[in-house]
Formats: sequence, C-alpha cells, structure tokens
Amino acid sequence: MAVVVGRLLALAFLVCFGTGIYSHFLQDPLPWMVFPTRPTFLYQVTQGIHITAGIACFPLLFAKLYIVFPELFQTPLVGSFRHLLERASIALFVASSLVQIVIGLINTYQWYQLFPFPFRQTHYALSFVIIGSLAIHIAVKLDLITKYWRKNKPVAELVEAPEPAEAPEPADASTGSATARPNLTSDPVRNAIIRTEGVTGRLFDWIDTTPPAEPRASRRGFLTIVGIASAAVVTLTAGQSFKIFDVTNVFGPRKQGIGPNGLPVNRTATAAKVVDAASAPDWTLTVTNGDESKSYSRADLLAMPQTVVELPIACVEGWSQTATWKGVRVGDLVDSVGAKGGISLRATSLEQNSSYAVMNMGPEYVRDDLTLVALELNGDTLDLDHGYPARIIAPGRPGVLQTKWLTSLEVLS
Amino acid sequence: MTAIRRWQIALIALGLLLFLVGGITLLNDVNPKRYLGIALWFAGALVLHDGILSFVVFGTNIAMRKTARRVRMPLPAILIVQGALVIAGIMTLIVVPAILKKGIGTGNATLLPLDYGLHLVVFYGVLAAVTVAALAVYFVVRRRRAA
Repeated sequence: MAVVVGRLLALAFLVCFGTGIYSHFLQDPLPWMVFPTRPTFLYQVTQGIHITAGIACFPLLFAKLYIVFPELFQTPLVGSFRHLLERASIALFVASSLVQIVIGLINTYQWYQLFPFPFRQTHYALSFVIIGSLAIHIAVKLDLITKYWRKNKPVAELVEAPEPAEAPEPADASTGSATARPNLTSDPVRNAIIRTEGVTGRLFDWIDTTPPAEPRASRRGFLTIVGIASAAVVTLTAGQSFKIFDVTNVFGPRKQGIGPNGLPVNRTATAAKVVDAASAPDWTLTVTNGDESKSYSRADLLAMPQTVVELPIACVEGWSQTATWKGVRVGDLVDSVGAKGGISLRATSLEQNSSYAVMNMGPEYVRDDLTLVALELNGDTLDLDHGYPARIIAPGRPGVLQTKWLTSLEVLS
Repeated sequence: MTAIRRWQIALIALGLLLFLVGGITLLNDVNPKRYLGIALWFAGALVLHDGILSFVVFGTNIAMRKTARRVRMPLPAILIVQGALVIAGIMTLIVVPAILKKGIGTGNATLLPLDYGLHLVVFYGVLAAVTVAALAVYFVVRRRRAA
C-alpha cells in the first residue's frame, strides 16, 4: 500500500515540479530561452495543473504518512550511522513536503503574514530538496518497489502472503540489528506491534487487543477513502483554474466571473498606488526605439486599428479565466517607431516599488498577432483594477507579466 | 553490478545534485536572516504532524475499533465512518485557512469571494448524508447475505 500511494504521490510531486519549473522560467527566463505562444491556454493549463495537483497532494501525502506511521517507532530508534542518515533524510523529506504544500496553499489565499521567509524563492528552493529527497528515497526503496512491481499476482494472494513489498522499511536496511523478525503483515498497526518492544511495546500490546480489520477489506477501503478525498478536494476547488469545474467550485479562492469586467483581480490600483497617475487625463504611452520616440494618448490608441482577441489571464496562484480583450497590436506600435524584425521589448508600469513594474518580453510575444496593448475588456472600458488606461495581454504568459497601468514600451537593441 | 544497483547509484547521485541546486538557490535567493523562519516551519511541520496529528488519528482509530467491539458494531461499518471523518478532516484543513484569512480581510473583494464557512457546513451535511446512505447499503447487503 505504501508503494501504491507512494507512486501516486511521486507522480503528483513530479507534475508539480515540472509545471513549477516552467512557470519559474517564464518569469525569470535564461537569456537563450524562447517560449511557445500556442496553444494560448498553455500556461493556464500548466499552472492550473500545478495548483490542482498541489491540492491533491494533501490527501495523498497524509495517506502515505499514515501508512508509514509505525516507522516512527523503530527499535532501536537509531541503530547505526547509516540508519541515522536514512532517518534524517526521511525527516527532511517529510518536513519539506508538508511545508511545501501548506505554503503553496496559503499563498493562494495571499496570507503572506504567516511566512517569515519570501514565499517564491523558498518554494522554488524547496522543490529541488523535495525532488532530490524523492530520488534518494526511491533509490533506497528500489528493491521493494521492483519486487512489488514484478509480483504479478492477484490482489488476494498479495494480501495474504507476508508482504515485504508493503512494509515501508526493508528489514535488512532499516537497522543494523536485523535479527529474525516475525513476518510483517499488511496491517500497519500490527506491523508496529511486531516492530516495537519496551514501553511502546506494552502500549501496543494494549492496542493489540483491538480487533484488526480484515486486511483485504481495509486495504480496499483505505484506497477508496484516499480516492474519494482526492476527488473531493480537486472537484471542489479546481473551478478556479478550469471552467468545467466552475459549477462545483465552492472552496476555490477565486470564482470565475467575479470581479470588475467580470474577471478576478490580483493587485488593485489602490494597492499598487497608481489611482491618481492612471486616472490622469494627460496620461500617455511612450514607445521608444533608440532615438525614435512617440507618445500616444488613450484617444490616439483607440484611433488606431483595433484587434479583438480571446485570451486567458492566468495567475501564478493558479486561478485563470478566459476573457475578450480589445486593443492595439504591440507589433503595430513597435513598427510605428521603426523597429524591424524579431525584437525584445521592455514594458514599464506606473506602479512603484514592485518587482513586476518592469517587464521584458521576448520576440516570440512581441511579434505575435495576439499580443495587445489592451484598452477594453469583455466589451467595456478596461477597469482601473485591470490596468486602465492600458495594459499588456499576451498569449501563454503568467498574469504578473501582463503588465497593467502601462506608461512606456521600449525596444531593446 | 546489477541493474538495480546502477539505478540506485544514479538516483542517489541525482538526489544529491538536486540538493546542491536547492542549497545554492537558497543561499543565493533567500536572505540568511530568513533561514531561521524556514527552520521554524520545518520543525513546526514535524511537531504538528508527527507529534500531534498522527497520534490523534491513530488514537481515534484505536478508540473507535474498541468501542465498535463493545457495542457490537461490525468493523466495515466503523471503517465507513472513519473514512467520512478522514475526508471531513482533510477538507477542514484546506478550507479553514481560507475562512480565517477572509475573516482577517483580503486585498480585494475578488480574492476569497465565497462564503467558505457556510459551504463547509453544507459539505459536512452532504458527507454525513452519503455516509448514512453507505451504512444503510452495507447493513442491507449484510442482512441479505446472512439470510
């Protein structure tokens, strides 16, 4: 059972790691990196999966830890230096996994006050610690895992036979004093009884008089419960990222359609301290290319050819929603100052003191027909909280890079 | 050297390499003043989970089985009830922080816009109803088998 649940949990961890790395490099690309702009929902899906899989890790991780709970009481607690290393690595694995999924969840509630550390950097660094721990954990347990996989027997036989494959710890690797031990069973509680002596042993002796569950039923029941719990947490929250789950979204921190222009907001104009600057009638967007520079008022921009695109806004926190955006193609604006070919762009926001006030955009986005300086959203004037007077919207990028309250665009040589 | 042994060495090497990347990232990107905060969270996670939560769950499990024997409730019925408690517990862990944060106040009205407390109560209600239904099905099947 440890292997069955462990496999699912490892898969969820790897999915979170892969999608997380993708999100990280979208935000902090290495110089040579180029990203796909199609399908336009790519980031919406990868980040939605990141958050949803992260939430699914709660039941899976608790299930896994429940199964291996008796391992806490190995006798002796530490048998050798190797055993100490192994236990320390497990403690690191367990603690980092718990911290990772809890801070990830709390970050989607934006409860930053609970973190005595920077969320993003810590979450990123921990992901390597966790996947590293996972690799080492699999290496240590590889004998068991392969034994389990090779055992192509019917379930009933697996359960009735003494089950080294299900024991969370191999007898010869766990302690230096692996003397003859009674056969382990499929029941973690009974394993604990077999494995412990002394005071805890007497405690478990008392527990031993508890009627054990019939192994097959309890195994099947356990996996059913894990399945139902995982399905429940996913179904009731995933609507923040995936429209098909919107009807069952009762616990997601965002709800589709709620917000100005029918769209949720992450940072308001008030929070960004841009209300005055963004509402100023003399606002202009400055577009520069070396010595060439042009200024556009909102009316100027509205007088240019307008393009309507259907693009999702997808937050790194996992929520996303597709919307209708109308505005001027970024390509047209850079052409107006004589930019040629595949160029990169730097967009600056009116926002002060924010690490996202300045955003760089690679040529794959600048020259994409769907990348706009948006002026309207869902048929109305862009709301102040959505970046009025003008914002960037590009396909397949995280929301933090869809710069709001634009003040300048600068062609990078 | 067997194939398994080679895989083990490769996986351990990969793991150590990833530790190195994680460590360097931590050194580069996180101010050392914050390391204590991270260590506190790690210790807190272990204490809360391994020290408290695990024992509560374990103790509840044992207590329920003992009680079941005393009141002659069949074990599968107890497992159904325990399953419902587990599902309720996990959902509570996920939703209660949302309720608390909404109570403290959020940056804007589109963050945590729902009535999570009410939804959680409804969820408990639905879960209880499903559990009762599952118990009913179990007892009907059991009686038929016995007959």
